[in-house]
Amino acid sequence: MGKETISVDYVEKELREALGKLVLETRRVADNQLIVVVPRSEVAEVAKRILERFREFEAHLSTHVATDERLINGHFVATYWISVNAERGDVWIGIRAYVPPSDSKVPSLTPQYPGANWYEREARDLLGIEPVGHPDPRRLVVPDDLPKNFHPLRKEVKYYEKVFTEPSFEFKKPRKYEIVVPFGPYHVALDEPAHFRLYVKGEEIVDVDYRGFYNHRGIEKLAESRLTYNQIPFIAERICGICGFTHSTAYCQAVETAAKIEVPDRARYIRTIMLEIERIHSHLLWIGVACHLVGFDTGFMHAWRIRERIMWLAERLSGNRKTYGMNLVGGVRRDILEYRKKLILDALRELRKEYKQFVDMLVSTKTFIKRCEGVGVLPRDKAQAYGTVGPTARGSGRRIDVRKDHPYAAYKELDFRVPVYSEGDVLARAMVRIEEVLESIWIIEQALDKLPGGHLLADVLEVPPHQEALGYTEAPRGENVHYVRTGHYNRVYRWRVRASTYNNLPAVPEMLRGYTVADAPLIIASIDPCYSCTERVVIIDVRSGEKRVLSEEEFNALSRKSRGLGR
Amino acid sequence: MSYVTLPYPFEPVEAPPEYRGKPEIDPKKCIGCGACSRACPPDAIRVEDDLVSGVRRIILDVSRCIRCARCEEVCPTGAIKLTREFELATPSKEDLLQIVEMRLARCSICGKYVGRTVRQIEKAKAVLSPLPRDRLEELLRVMTLCEDCRKRRVAQALQGVPTALLKVWGEVHG
Amino acid sequence: MAKRRIRSLWVFHLNTGACNGCDIEVLDVLTPFYDVERFGIKLVGSPRHADALLVTGPLTRQSYYAVKRTYEAMPPEPRMVVAVGTCACSGGIFYDSYAVHGGIDKLLPVHMYIPGCPPRPEEILFGIAQLLNIVEKRVRAKVVKVESPKPEVDPCERLWLDLREELRKVVGYFDRDRILSEFKEMVLEAYRSALPFRKLEALVEDYCKSVDDPRLCFCARYLYAKLRELVERYSREGYIVEDLLREAAWRRSGGLSL
Repeated sequence: MGKETISVDYVEKELREALGKLVLETRRVADNQLIVVVPRSEVAEVAKRILERFREFEAHLSTHVATDERLINGHFVATYWISVNAERGDVWIGIRAYVPPSDSKVPSLTPQYPGANWYEREARDLLGIEPVGHPDPRRLVVPDDLPKNFHPLRKEVKYYEKVFTEPSFEFKKPRKYEIVVPFGPYHVALDEPAHFRLYVKGEEIVDVDYRGFYNHRGIEKLAESRLTYNQIPFIAERICGICGFTHSTAYCQAVETAAKIEVPDRARYIRTIMLEIERIHSHLLWIGVACHLVGFDTGFMHAWRIRERIMWLAERLSGNRKTYGMNLVGGVRRDILEYRKKLILDALRELRKEYKQFVDMLVSTKTFIKRCEGVGVLPRDKAQAYGTVGPTARGSGRRIDVRKDHPYAAYKELDFRVPVYSEGDVLARAMVRIEEVLESIWIIEQALDKLPGGHLLADVLEVPPHQEALGYTEAPRGENVHYVRTGHYNRVYRWRVRASTYNNLPAVPEMLRGYTVADAPLIIASIDPCYSCTERVVIIDVRSGEKRVLSEEEFNALSRKSRGLGR
Repeated sequence: MSYVTLPYPFEPVEAPPEYRGKPEIDPKKCIGCGACSRACPPDAIRVEDDLVSGVRRIILDVSRCIRCARCEEVCPTGAIKLTREFELATPSKEDLLQIVEMRLARCSICGKYVGRTVRQIEKAKAVLSPLPRDRLEELLRVMTLCEDCRKRRVAQALQGVPTALLKVWGEVHG
Repeated sequence: MAKRRIRSLWVFHLNTGACNGCDIEVLDVLTPFYDVERFGIKLVGSPRHADALLVTGPLTRQSYYAVKRTYEAMPPEPRMVVAVGTCACSGGIFYDSYAVHGGIDKLLPVHMYIPGCPPRPEEILFGIAQLLNIVEKRVRAKVVKVESPKPEVDPCERLWLDLREELRKVVGYFDRDRILSEFKEMVLEAYRSALPFRKLEALVEDYCKSVDDPRLCFCARYLYAKLRELVERYSREGYIVEDLLREAAWRRSGGLSL
């Protein structure tokens, strides 16, 4: 791989040259974050050109932020954030358009880039920015009983305002010879609620329709109205009960970048340690669930038995097994005293031993290998076209990892390997996770060894209003991106969360095509979907390669199964 | 591999010392400043003032509590702590309430009840007592004003007050 | 409620919008260390076979209709509902959002509340064991009327408050009180001598030798430096804290100074 890297300066210069008059303004919001303002009519075109130009830099659409800035400049704002990855430059590019409220429409990027599907529907649901030319403009995020032109993220709407109407949602009509199999919202195979409709011909799933977002809890609205800066880390943690700490870290980092708060070194290291502890428990959880899905329940029980050691450790370090409650804007809340350091080292020593035994057993279990090998292949080009992240991307040969590409916390100062497999099947995704656990143990050991002294928490006197920035972390499932625009009265003006499953889910139909229904739960689970993080609606069209929306239904169905509650 | 299943609930277990369990207010230390209630992300601690009978009620609803320990972090007197208690399951939600009541103070000018407790004022005195007498008296007068009288007087009088006082007073939290 | 005799309880798990934290802990009680199947608990695949619903998460608007239908699908007896986690008990941090109704008790009668965010596996076991009449409930509502107008007060309150806040930024809220109280002892000990700072410095060094933890040493030295700074700053404001410390130290030692 060529190792040419690019900088923000370079990107800014090149975009100005290539786009000419299309660039109305450029704005540096942070050292590595650049916003390019373009005319509203060109935003999709420019985003597409940038994605193509930086394709070899593993660029993908990282998030899309729609904001109601009518009180500030009289417009809605839509920003497509594109990240440059693969250690080819720490660059985030935001392509921004101002949308007048009288004509709140933008051209849709989805026809050219399927990864934009949910983003644009969400902006329409929450703010009423209409994506023109969107192939599936149905409701995605908000409940069915919310009136059609009620957009909760508009500033005039109160966060507690509950307006009801008759619930309605239109599902796809089955075609000839297709039979509809309703699945969910409560189904034994689903850990979280979602409603799938499988359109089948015989055994084969030909199409899927999905209505999810049963977990939509209005978190972003609560954050910008009821909660203060230091309360948001705790709701951020409750976006997801498995990878909560990555969310609160991403949020805190976004505010810290926006407000130019320097986080003490010790806090950066403690965050790193907790993030890796979380990764270990999440991967062990996934491995157990994968074992369960292939009918290897002994593996499930052993994986969870080993995992319990990490849960007990987390409880002793942070006070809780899941929601660590460690982050505040400016640092962390609990210290790692000497005796806790010993607890960590002891737990890791035991874990490494037991884990190696377990993995030896797992990879020599033929049923497990045979069920995973060559199943659910996601080719590299598709993995990039959908902007997949995390182990899903790395199992398909994309060498991307936020910890390397956009170093945060203490990762720049630590040595670790990013396992990448090119096969793209379920086994590759499993191997990435299996190896990452050992890397995480190694990262924690180094971080403990290097743990600097000093403060835990920076003095945060005031957060200046109307600064914006991205915060990002590599969650166990991949890149998480949080956008923050600061506001008055100790509150954020806008906080946008993009969890990793949001980017991975759309690729699942690709993985499903050509495989049997029996493999579907495993394939869906292989991206380790997290619905509470994602909670969006998707449609999967597993029919031939035509452009389609995501198949979250299957996701959910499978994932629930994968979560092990399916018996 | 040996047998790992724990005998709980047939034998008791203790949560580790670092555990964040059920929060509890120590009424001996609580001064009713309400800092916890302002910091609480899920609004599990409410402060209700009855300005007619002169009582402040601090209502802690453990069924709403997410156990983040922000209350413990901001409490100026160390009155609220997360205990190691975790066996909270109950058929009735009322069991999960803790209510602490204390007297409100009266306005030093008009005599109406104000949104400060008597205990808050006593604590403030303790923080302030080494200050020169005239300054102390002036501050105490200002502190025991009702909203109406306070608005009139507070602006000029509170200049340059020590942070520790503001903390007891519930003006600073973070 | 008359005590029920329940043997094998078949439960259906219902996520009404949870973050997964409680769901994973529900799963966790099935795994080797907790093994809830010891009590005859079985997770079933359909509400039609279920004696009880294990509900996790706040009741979101989108899941409301489905939850209703799930409940109606259950057999009429015993139709137990167990709210697992703070969100199911009350809506938790999401309680008043536009997309959330609140706790599950907004829609269904609840037989057991198991608060916690998420509850520990033992906490879930405790709730289930209570449902099966294996254990008794432990919590009671507490209403306390505080009549005394005088809270506990330390004469050097302001100093300790300032140090406590400083310590929060160094070692965090959790460990600060323990460290501060140890330091307080040292300060009071030091103020019995004629040269308190010199004495305190020696005490701090002894302390550092006795504890095998560089962090605790760092905190003690940091507090020492801050104390010097604060004493000076206070005296510029006319607040002579050293007199109060000496008095407190004297009183502590039973009046036998030096």
